[in-house]
Amino acid sequence: MKDSTLFERIGGMFENVAAQGHGSLLFVFFAGIVFGTIIQYVRADKFEKIAGFAMLKDTIVPKMLFLTVGLTSIGLYFMVDNGYASYHIKPIILSGLVIGGVLFGASMAIMGKCPGTGPVSIAEGRVDVLVGAIGGVLGALVFTIFYDDIFHPLMGESMGKLTLPSLVPGYETISVLLFGGLVIAISIIIPKKELVDEADICQITGKQKTKEETTSH
Amino acid sequence: MTILLLFTFSVVGADRPIGASTYIPYLAGLTFNLDPEKYVYLKQIEDSGAWEGVFLLGMLTGGFFSSIFITKTFRISLIPTAWVKYKNNSVKSRMLYSFVSGFFMIIGARLAGGCTSGHFMSGMGQIAISAMVFGGVVLVTLIITGQLFYKLKSEDEV
Repeated sequence: MKDSTLFERIGGMFENVAAQGHGSLLFVFFAGIVFGTIIQYVRADKFEKIAGFAMLKDTIVPKMLFLTVGLTSIGLYFMVDNGYASYHIKPIILSGLVIGGVLFGASMAIMGKCPGTGPVSIAEGRVDVLVGAIGGVLGALVFTIFYDDIFHPLMGESMGKLTLPSLVPGYETISVLLFGGLVIAISIIIPKKELVDEADICQITGKQKTKEETTSH
Repeated sequence: MTILLLFTFSVVGADRPIGASTYIPYLAGLTFNLDPEKYVYLKQIEDSGAWEGVFLLGMLTGGFFSSIFITKTFRISLIPTAWVKYKNNSVKSRMLYSFVSGFFMIIGARLAGGCTSGHFMSGMGQIAISAMVFGGVVLVTLIITGQLFYKLKSEDEV
């Protein structure tokens, strides 16, 4: 690994994924294509969507997110229940979650992207996001190098991998349905607002695409 | 989107959640040739970083073709329209903020162990407490920053 070229290391990445048993190489790549296409199609990768939500001028992203979360939570619960899937819960590392959340939220408002939508908008030709990504890679470098000394202690101890249903034994199914229903209700209640990018409308020429959140199903 | 998430979780799919921020330190490792044996953190993320690396290639491909053929919004641009409207029209300032926020965004995401995809979508889909804490903090900071950072009043006068 030490003296390998960049291309050898990239080749190593493909071999690693193929050997992991978390879906074939092609499946992972294809899942990425679908994810990228959906994000691009519903325009969640646009600065106007996430920064617009921070300004409370656009609510498509939260509506879409909450709807997805609600549907997924119910669907996934029954899939797990019947043995078709398994949960992969992230641990509760309280100070890591809070400090990380503050840094992440503030950066997201300024950048107008998150690590999932950023690459999609780079693929769409947004140079400012590419610059942000370079900043991100450097941030990751700093994080990796100082992980032991600074960041790992900062994250605090894990308080276990808890889920809401596990807190109310005996009422798991009901709590999942309640949670899912509530989240879906939130997604419907949030008033629909859109901040559009005039430059896009000019470019598309003709009718502006309607961005129904139904495309996210 | 839900179908994709469910499928990825399922045993026929990948049996793991979707994430989109672990690949960044992984890429940093690749680019700067850091030795995973030497850095504890790289060792930890070796597998999921590689998974997300391939996922990222798919995302780029999907976004690229979709922007050209479906939404027809592909163009090389340096500054978002709304940035000009609500902040300023300096490309330099946008680049600087973009760079700095990218830097802190990834440190934040790695501290919390996930980002919008991993925590918010995949995590809340699993009704994990950790994801709800993160989601709540992010939503609040996001909106507070948005209200303070952008010039919202001037827009009403225009």
